Amino acid sequence: MELGGEKTVNGKSRIVLPLCVGVAVLLVWHIAVRISHSYLTPTPLEVLRGIAELIQKGLLFKYMAASLFRVTCGFMLAVVIGVPAGLLLGWFQLAFQAFNPMLQILRPISPIAWIPLAISWFGISDAAPIFLIFLASVFPIAVSAIAAVQNMQPVYLRAARNFGLSGGELFRQVIFRASLPQIITGIRIALGVAWLVVVAAEMIAVNSGLGYLIIDARNAGKRYDLIVAGMVMIGLIGLVLDLIVRQLEKFDEVRWGYASRE
Amino acid sequence: MSAPAVVVRNLWMTFPAKRHGQPIAVLENVNAEVATGEFVCIVGPSGCGKSTLLNIIGGFVRATRGEVMVEGEPVDGPDPRRIFVFQENGVFPWLTVSENIGFGVRGKKEEERRRIVRHYTEMVSLTGFENAYPRELSGGMRQRVEIARALAANPDIIYMDEPFGALDFITRLKMRADLTRIWQSEKKTILFVTHDIEEAVQLADRVVVMSQRPATVKEVIPVGLPRPRDLDSHGYLETRDRIFHSMGMSLRIGENIA
Amino acid sequence: MTLKRTVTVYSLGWIVAITLLHSVLNLGLFSARSGATTGEKYRIGFLPVTCHLTCPVTDFINKQQTGKSIFTPVRFNGWPELKEAFLSGYMPATFILAPMAMALREQGVPIKIVYLGHRDGSAVMVRKDSQIYRMEDLRGKRVAVPNRFSNQRLLIFRALKQAGMTVNDITLVEMPPPDMPAALYSRAVDAVSSGEPFMAQTEMDGYGRVLWLTKDVWPNFISCVLAVNEDMIKNHRETVQELVNGIARSGKWLDQTMDHRMEAAQFVSGPEYYNQNPRLLSFVLSKPPDRVKYTNLTLVRKDFEEIEALGLESGILKGTAHFEDYADPSFVTDENAINPWNWEGKKP
Repeated sequence: MELGGEKTVNGKSRIVLPLCVGVAVLLVWHIAVRISHSYLTPTPLEVLRGIAELIQKGLLFKYMAASLFRVTCGFMLAVVIGVPAGLLLGWFQLAFQAFNPMLQILRPISPIAWIPLAISWFGISDAAPIFLIFLASVFPIAVSAIAAVQNMQPVYLRAARNFGLSGGELFRQVIFRASLPQIITGIRIALGVAWLVVVAAEMIAVNSGLGYLIIDARNAGKRYDLIVAGMVMIGLIGLVLDLIVRQLEKFDEVRWGYASRE
Repeated sequence: MSAPAVVVRNLWMTFPAKRHGQPIAVLENVNAEVATGEFVCIVGPSGCGKSTLLNIIGGFVRATRGEVMVEGEPVDGPDPRRIFVFQENGVFPWLTVSENIGFGVRGKKEEERRRIVRHYTEMVSLTGFENAYPRELSGGMRQRVEIARALAANPDIIYMDEPFGALDFITRLKMRADLTRIWQSEKKTILFVTHDIEEAVQLADRVVVMSQRPATVKEVIPVGLPRPRDLDSHGYLETRDRIFHSMGMSLRIGENIA
Repeated sequence: MTLKRTVTVYSLGWIVAITLLHSVLNLGLFSARSGATTGEKYRIGFLPVTCHLTCPVTDFINKQQTGKSIFTPVRFNGWPELKEAFLSGYMPATFILAPMAMALREQGVPIKIVYLGHRDGSAVMVRKDSQIYRMEDLRGKRVAVPNRFSNQRLLIFRALKQAGMTVNDITLVEMPPPDMPAALYSRAVDAVSSGEPFMAQTEMDGYGRVLWLTKDVWPNFISCVLAVNEDMIKNHRETVQELVNGIARSGKWLDQTMDHRMEAAQFVSGPEYYNQNPRLLSFVLSKPPDRVKYTNLTLVRKDFEEIEALGLESGILKGTAHFEDYADPSFVTDENAINPWNWEGKKP
């Protein structure tokens, strides 16, 4: 444990501290709504009841499954395409020079802007939101893979070539493994973006999903409690997703790539 | 006497100019030879280009002019028969100690590989750390892994580029002792770059003294001392002084050099 | 386990699990682009607004009486998505804003208006405590409308003209109808105008007041229409006829008695149709009773030419398409020949 600075960071505080923050936020939220006599903003209790209503109607799990399915497909596609593409672009200088500008042009275009094209290409189906989620995720992944390869310690390459590695073996044994920590960081970021884009992606007339829930609650009239309930569910799932990916960072094959305070 | 292991003839190295400025002349008309089984140290002031020289010999950099022959063949890139030991971070952090050491013998059969790895793990006194990862080891231990990895590949020549430079004084002494021991039992040709004059005298059969940049070979000083080297002996001090003198350095700390 | 094996096993496992879960829970979700017109069960788009009430009413009563539907209603959450779905061929029929349909026709889209959705049914609402009582009081104020092609915008245009004002005397902002009640409440805008039930919501919640209803400014104003793809008329004329007949009968049924309207408010507010508060729908359909009307929905050239003129003036139409191009009134020639549904509600 490093002395000085924060108090000891042990297992218990990892759960207790954020829980305290969460409770504090709920309290402040509740009090703020009550004090301001806000007409439309729901209190945490109302949101909780909204969540209960969703569970009762059997909608919560249906919608969670739909959104998770679409994010899974879009995100996995982004990994499968983005990682190899990023590695290749990072390694082959000519390819990088040729394709990087296009990448940088496409990257800042918000997925929402793609919605009309997505509808015209994929119609009203799961394919359209999956496409949007793919678009949102593939760029952070590719960019971090490119950076990982380009910023790789040259000494690894020299040592590998010294031992006679070349071509495919060099790629698999050294380049890929040396880039993995940064790639996982890119994946973490991309997963966050993918899940964030879910609301926008489900603006297309799919009729299920947490994003759809929020948009539909808008049309249902004064159901701000459902809107915030949807937001809370999205946030909680986002937390879980992030925690899962962070577990990947603990593996020995990549742990070396992350600074530790121990 | 067998053919020399390494021959450097009329070597020049100039790096192209950066954004503003001149091209950088690093090496100028370098000539040197290393016999098979010899332990040769290259010393010189910091930044003089000795690492560049070693990288050229190792095949990582192409010289602007001149030739390098290793074991009778011109150098055309790195080769597993001549393993390079780097100053830092040469070990692959995603592999365990065993996997690193066994890297050079990946192609061999399981049984054979395990035997070799075990042998060299013991030789560098890392028994018990086979499944540890480099991040869990100290700097000195990591360098041992790298040396073991180099040895396990059974190369003809080992190039070492300031391998102990990042370690503390005491560890350095230990590592030098271990290296000497290992070299005596394995009988490899070693070409060792260092800025530490004492280190050169403690380890080498011959010391190649390089000048400031653009570096050329100032002098080649033989070290005819028996091993283990006695740091107190007259011969040791004399050789050391000779190198100091060759590099134009004073033996009185704080004295100005004319 | 190594990283590689962990990732592979868990990823594959998760993909299988979530795909299974999704397929099971959300059956019927994977709708293909093809099959837009498959005789039965073609798709028709609508928004959860009272202007499109005849759509779910037709579907529901048909299902109750015959056990089958004649089409698959698809609810959209906004005009852009609905328009794009129609353009992409996802559905051959839809309810749509009349000026939007006309503008699409001008752009070469093979769309044909075949029937009206309703008459009246829009309003301009202001805050109860504001000093706005006439159009002139809107001078310098912010007014929210749903869409450039919306009838509300045209209506305001006309109302301004009638009051001797121009559109430059007010500030028009575009805003999605569901956001309008909150915007009015928080005084982000001074007046809102869109289709129901969002206007009635401000009234029901106590802070809104009607400035004027459509019927006061432009009686029998048409707003939303039923439109189909030209190919559907060419290849499946009987289907289109069946659709128009159904919609017409629903219109007659809705205007027949107030009980019918209240019945409709109950079943249309369900999650498969509008997913709104039934009290709200009841309110819109009854206070006042002629807030929105569903009969007299045959296409009349004069109505459309008025819209053409207004559209040209307000800059949303180019004037290159005319009644023959964008309308096909042949499906209902005699309003009186249509009989309302014979249905009095679910038997307990």
